[in-house]
Amino acid sequence: MLKGGFAFVALSALAASSASAHVTLERRQAPVGSYYKAVFAVPHGCAGSPTTKIRVQIPEGVIGIKPMPKPGWTVEMVKGKYATEYEFHGGKISEGVKEVMWSGGKLADDNFDEFVFSSFLTPGLKPDTTLYFPVVQECEQGVSRWIDVPAGGQSGHGHDSKTPAPGLKLIGKP
Amino acid sequence: MERVLASLAALLSALFIANAAWAHATLLSSEPADGSVLAQAPKMVQLHFNEGVTPAVIGLIDAGGKARDVASRAVGQSILIVLPEDLPQGTQIVSYRVVSQDGHPVAGSLVFSIGAVTGAAPPAKTSPLALLIWLARIGVYLGLFVGVGGAFFAAWIGQGPSGSTVSRGALAIGLVSAVASLGLQGLDLLNLPLRAIVTSAPWTSALATSLGPSLLIAIVVMAIAWFAWQSPSILISRVLTTLAMAGVGLSLAASGHAATASPQWLTRPSLLLHGIAAAYWIGALAPLAAMARQRRDDLPRVLKQFSALALPLVGLLVLSGLVLSIIQVGSWRALIETQYGIILSIKLTLVILLLGLAALNRFLFTPAVVARDENNRPLLRSILIECVLVVCILAVVATWRFTPPPRASVAPAATPLSVHIHTDAAMFQVLVSPGRVGANDFVLQLMTGDAALLPAKEATLILSLPERGIEPMERRATLGPDGYWHVRGVALPLPGRWRMQIDALVTDFQKITLQDDLQVR
Repeated sequence: MLKGGFAFVALSALAASSASAHVTLERRQAPVGSYYKAVFAVPHGCAGSPTTKIRVQIPEGVIGIKPMPKPGWTVEMVKGKYATEYEFHGGKISEGVKEVMWSGGKLADDNFDEFVFSSFLTPGLKPDTTLYFPVVQECEQGVSRWIDVPAGGQSGHGHDSKTPAPGLKLIGKP
Repeated sequence: MERVLASLAALLSALFIANAAWAHATLLSSEPADGSVLAQAPKMVQLHFNEGVTPAVIGLIDAGGKARDVASRAVGQSILIVLPEDLPQGTQIVSYRVVSQDGHPVAGSLVFSIGAVTGAAPPAKTSPLALLIWLARIGVYLGLFVGVGGAFFAAWIGQGPSGSTVSRGALAIGLVSAVASLGLQGLDLLNLPLRAIVTSAPWTSALATSLGPSLLIAIVVMAIAWFAWQSPSILISRVLTTLAMAGVGLSLAASGHAATASPQWLTRPSLLLHGIAAAYWIGALAPLAAMARQRRDDLPRVLKQFSALALPLVGLLVLSGLVLSIIQVGSWRALIETQYGIILSIKLTLVILLLGLAALNRFLFTPAVVARDENNRPLLRSILIECVLVVCILAVVATWRFTPPPRASVAPAATPLSVHIHTDAAMFQVLVSPGRVGANDFVLQLMTGDAALLPAKEATLILSLPERGIEPMERRATLGPDGYWHVRGVALPLPGRWRMQIDALVTDFQKITLQDDLQVR
């Protein structure tokens, strides 16, 4: 039992460490057709400069966006048309939030913070693929773009990407 | 045991969780600044990071193209690199690979120039390594020409085991030499000591150059020839040796100064024919000598058959050799004024002697042997002298590895390098002028996949030279009034196959990345 426990601790610790360098999602796996609380971890500024703005692009098929208000930060949403219609709460919707933006705050390079919204992963999304949420991190000086998506739909990032987009692995409906 | 495991687990998780707050290190600035031109040689280079880092590999390639040893140490969030005092004027490259606190390697390069931006000529080597490289090169030539050529002769003309010891010996030497060549080339590229041959770095580095495929072909070809000797069926050995002969030409055409000269549609086929013809001729010498010594009955028939094909092939050999010489040397003066030309002059002298002997054999000694079997002494002596000359020629040719041909040092008239990268997503046209070592201007024309203008917010050029261990250098492009993106004064200090990556930021959230190679001379 204890050995099992050890392996688990070590594994989760490793996972935490590989996350450390980039802006990432806290939970990296979710079933389609369910609600998903997206927590973006921002571990540092842009090359030492404090973060002043976080922008997240919402991929197609993710609807019902509700950002969690954040003290000291202003949250804004950019709305637009979806590529198709989605059924939501018994009705059909064809437009909604395409981008969420937190601004006005200041997150020092040696601090850590999380930016959160809740969302619904529509059932039409394909299980066993990875959904990417490109993030632009603006700082007092400079910008970091966490927008690299692996080419050709292959899952997982090539090790050469320095600024991967946060990814969410989709699994089948529970 | 359980307690040990539990405390290990606690330690590990503490380590990693502590790490979780840290990030990849980023280079904030450097002294001297990347791309700067200085009046005087600096004593050291300082790299300032946003966190403490540990140096892993720090390399310096000086303006002479030579890899130099440098001492480096980490002080706080900086790395100090102490430079040699005798840096030549021109552009130097510092390439670094450091380990950030989260254990990830972070790599990059920076260039600075003393006096002015220059490009380095390939370094002149006079080390024991150079001697080994030269010997290995000769070994490869022996394997290809004496070994493979000998096997071909035996299968098609000699139809017997005469000269098999020499041919097989040459094949064995050639195989060992080809493998050694590869490793030595890697050591030379990375400026590593001889003992580093047991590590993988020199091998992967050498395989990435054009010598890699060339030597791999050579190895396969020599192995095929070896099997041809073992084969009991004359038909199979004929097929195998013919394949192997074609491979000799391919191997030579795949690499080297001459293969990379333009126009390539002329130089590569010329080299291919030159190699095949040389292997035919040289390969026949040992078996012929053996047959002449043994006074074999079928010597007249063999000589006749060999001569019939030898005449046109030697013509081809001379013709292709002349074409290549003219392209490489360019002028009569270069024949005596450049190192490359002098080597060529020596080779030509030896070749003329060899041709004289061959003519003597063909028109005097061969008819004599055909007329009367006992007249084999002069022929045997002449063939043995030919063998000596051939070895001399191969030894001379192998020194070309160390000298650039005059055409390389003649500044080509302003013809910028043009690279066209086309994928479904986008089409990038890149002009690099002058497209030679030294300072270069890049013009990037960014288009969508169907050739419409691609509106980009930012464009970044990233260059690296993996074969010399130069890590990526990033340069931001600026949008000119002409609608093209420009990066001016990029120092490309070394010749070689540079890896070029262009990142075009299309929207805030979308980036198109295309890559290609850039052959810089």
